Amino acid sequence: MRFRNMNWAPYLLILPSFIYLLLFFGWPMIASLQLAFRRDSQILPLRAEPGAETPVVGELERGTTVEVIDVQLFETQKAGGLLTEKVFWLEVSGPNPEGETVTGWALRGNVFVQDASRSDRGTVRAATATLRAEPHPDAEPVGELPRGTALTILEWGKVDSKVAAGGLLQKPQNWLRVSGETASGEVVEGWVNRAPLFLEDAKISAQGRVQSGEGSKEWTLDYVKRMLRDPKFMQALRTTLLLIVIILPIQFTLAIIMALVLQSQLKFNTLFLYIYAIPLGISDLAAGLVWYTIFTQNGYLNSFLQSLGLIERPFIFISSTNKEWIIVAIVLAEVWRATSIVMVIVVSGLQAIPRDYLEAGELFGASLWQRLRHIILPLLKPSLQVALILRTILAFQVFAVVVAISGGDVVTVLANETYRWYDIGAYNNKNVAAAYAGFIMLLSLSIAIFYLRAVRTQEEKEAAA
Amino acid sequence: MNKKLRALVLLAVVAMLAGAMGVSAQDNKVTFMSTQFNIVEEAEKFRAILADSGLEVDYLPSDEQPVFDTLTGEAGQEVGSVDVVGALHGTFPTLVDADVLFDLSGLLAQIEAEVDIADAFVELGKMGTTDYQYYIPWMQATYIMAANVEALEYLPEGADLNALTWEQLAEWGANIKEATGEARLGFPVAGLWHRVLQGYLWPSYTGGMVSQFNSPEAVEMMTFVRDELWPNVHPQSITYEFMQEPLLSGEVWVALDHTARLIEAFNEQPEQFVAFPAPAGPAGRGFMPVVVGLGVPANAPNPDGAVALIQFLLQPETQGAVLQNLGFFPVVAGVDTSDLPEGIAIEQAAVSAQASAPDALPALLPVGLGARGGELNEIFKAAANRVLLDGEDIQTVLDQEAAHIQALLDDTGAPCWPPDPAGEGTCQVESLQ
Repeated sequence: MRFRNMNWAPYLLILPSFIYLLLFFGWPMIASLQLAFRRDSQILPLRAEPGAETPVVGELERGTTVEVIDVQLFETQKAGGLLTEKVFWLEVSGPNPEGETVTGWALRGNVFVQDASRSDRGTVRAATATLRAEPHPDAEPVGELPRGTALTILEWGKVDSKVAAGGLLQKPQNWLRVSGETASGEVVEGWVNRAPLFLEDAKISAQGRVQSGEGSKEWTLDYVKRMLRDPKFMQALRTTLLLIVIILPIQFTLAIIMALVLQSQLKFNTLFLYIYAIPLGISDLAAGLVWYTIFTQNGYLNSFLQSLGLIERPFIFISSTNKEWIIVAIVLAEVWRATSIVMVIVVSGLQAIPRDYLEAGELFGASLWQRLRHIILPLLKPSLQVALILRTILAFQVFAVVVAISGGDVVTVLANETYRWYDIGAYNNKNVAAAYAGFIMLLSLSIAIFYLRAVRTQEEKEAAA
Repeated sequence: MNKKLRALVLLAVVAMLAGAMGVSAQDNKVTFMSTQFNIVEEAEKFRAILADSGLEVDYLPSDEQPVFDTLTGEAGQEVGSVDVVGALHGTFPTLVDADVLFDLSGLLAQIEAEVDIADAFVELGKMGTTDYQYYIPWMQATYIMAANVEALEYLPEGADLNALTWEQLAEWGANIKEATGEARLGFPVAGLWHRVLQGYLWPSYTGGMVSQFNSPEAVEMMTFVRDELWPNVHPQSITYEFMQEPLLSGEVWVALDHTARLIEAFNEQPEQFVAFPAPAGPAGRGFMPVVVGLGVPANAPNPDGAVALIQFLLQPETQGAVLQNLGFFPVVAGVDTSDLPEGIAIEQAAVSAQASAPDALPALLPVGLGARGGELNEIFKAAANRVLLDGEDIQTVLDQEAAHIQALLDDTGAPCWPPDPAGEGTCQVESLQ
């Protein structure tokens, strides 16, 4: 019985981390991808009664034209009756996706009511409403309607004003000619002040359209298409890739040189390490701002060039017509900010190379270049691989530096577009933002897989074969 | 009994007495519900200002939704609980629909006998009607121009700083460029650029914000901006968020931005900068004010108190105190600015001149777009940036973006807001009708 003899302890020990990974990585990742591919707020459930707790009697798709049958103000007591939440519920009727006509209640916010015609329905909400022969409080009463009576409004009239504060304030009173059934079952017609009536919101018309719902089971490519159609998409993708192509080779060359300098055991070795490491402690936004102040019109670079007498007046590097210089500034900022992280990885890789190999190389008379080319670089491959993956993924996420230096309009990158779609002050569309985020993830994943295969060590290749 | 407990009991007795006094004084109490100054520190500062009114004001800062709920919920009652409501212009359409506010024409006439309220705002308070004053303007925030005094010598001949036109602004920029070799007009293209487009350029040329979006006048405006204005605009404008910084560094000499984003320049170097109203176009002096108004619910328990409170709030002294402590600008003339910090005083003169200019054309923040308000901003920015930065054809760009605007309006069902004329139903871009 292999199964019984198996040692379960390590599996049990690793279980919490596994659950942690699932909970804090897997689940949010799937949830955010769902945003990009699942249609949101598409299906509106209709309820049997006003109120979110009542059973669902049918579903309507977004965009369905519906007939508005009734309106009710729904009150929920909160905080032990101290607060009353009041929301309108509409009774609507329309065809569901299967083509059957369904009728039920929905929150008013979910149904867009088209025109501003006046409602012809109402209910009495005072204890009683007195109907009068004329639209005037002193006119002869013709009937009494108890609270809750449903009314049909026949005519709107506006008469005399309520006056207050010695005539400074005036309020024309709306009087309505209505018909309704009295307690004794008699139908009466007459004029009544609008105040004691509950009008089904004067803006409710007979026609409406479902404008949002509570989610759906439908998958869609609409958000991805919207992203691809966005004119900024290609610009952003191009700039992001361009930045990677320029920045990465510079960073790796610099990082290897820096690492070799540190390895060479010079006198002020540690001082170099500290200087190299400073940018690591600076946020990318701050780095962007630093380079902005260097490249701006009255910035350090222009002052420097002017003091040398090289230029007469400041040269405007960052401008809508000078995209090349904006790219240069971004490249410099990114190289300055993120080269040391590559260096740290390379240094640790260098330290792992056994001295004997280098000494053997020296013994056989290999030059510095030959040692670098044939001993150091091949043995550095695993570290370089890690650094490459890390740097490329981070390069796909470049954001604050670009926004700080360029303003984000003339030169834009994928992460900036993601934010623009997410931002409440901008598109406020989390679905398209999720599509962008998913796209960045896809690029990062494929590049990581490519690196893992392309930069394999000899042993890995043999193992694979 | 230990000391602490005794103190507590004493406190409780005092509180009860105070409560009883509060109840007995309730007859004169004015309840003021407001969507502004609803941060604790702001509310405290405002209560301190109210303390000078001689009225017993119960100030209730609140969000927008509770205002709707309270006023529409109490609409059927003979006597409600709120005397005065203070809110942004955008809050009032709902209250107008619910028919819960007094007509304040009489009160307005009485106040205007003593102080001069900016006509443009009085008009907004009528909410598209001719004779029903739904709110009395209370205070405003807006965008104005700022210029370095060094730029003044290049002002085109015959141009009046307080009545500048967009053409003159372009000419001014050209003069500066010719003399100094640099384009020194500035716009916050990385900041509130969309407000400049929505509230200043489009209204000044077309008289509307969205209804005339791709009209021949809009094409004319865009052509002017591209050919005459933009060449004199500092190319680094694409990175400007707050214009105070490039103004202070001297990169930009003439700029348009929100008062809060210019104030540092006026505070730090009051002798170096002047403030003045936004330029005018063929259709008027388009500008974007954030207007806050005061309304009185028809079932106010203390209408006399409401009147007294509004009269107090519209006094120049009160308006000055609000400006000094809370940063909202007056809507009345005659505010004494001698005690104000210098920067605020400079801005106040320009804000006041702008609102009371004879050709003033207030363009309000979009109303009725809900969560999708930002989309309209993106459309305006895309329209301008595609023409100015990417060099696309004007008519094509405006037609395409107009279709985007109409789709947004149709989706949200938003009715037109000033300066576009109020009409029935959803707002329409006219060329697409």
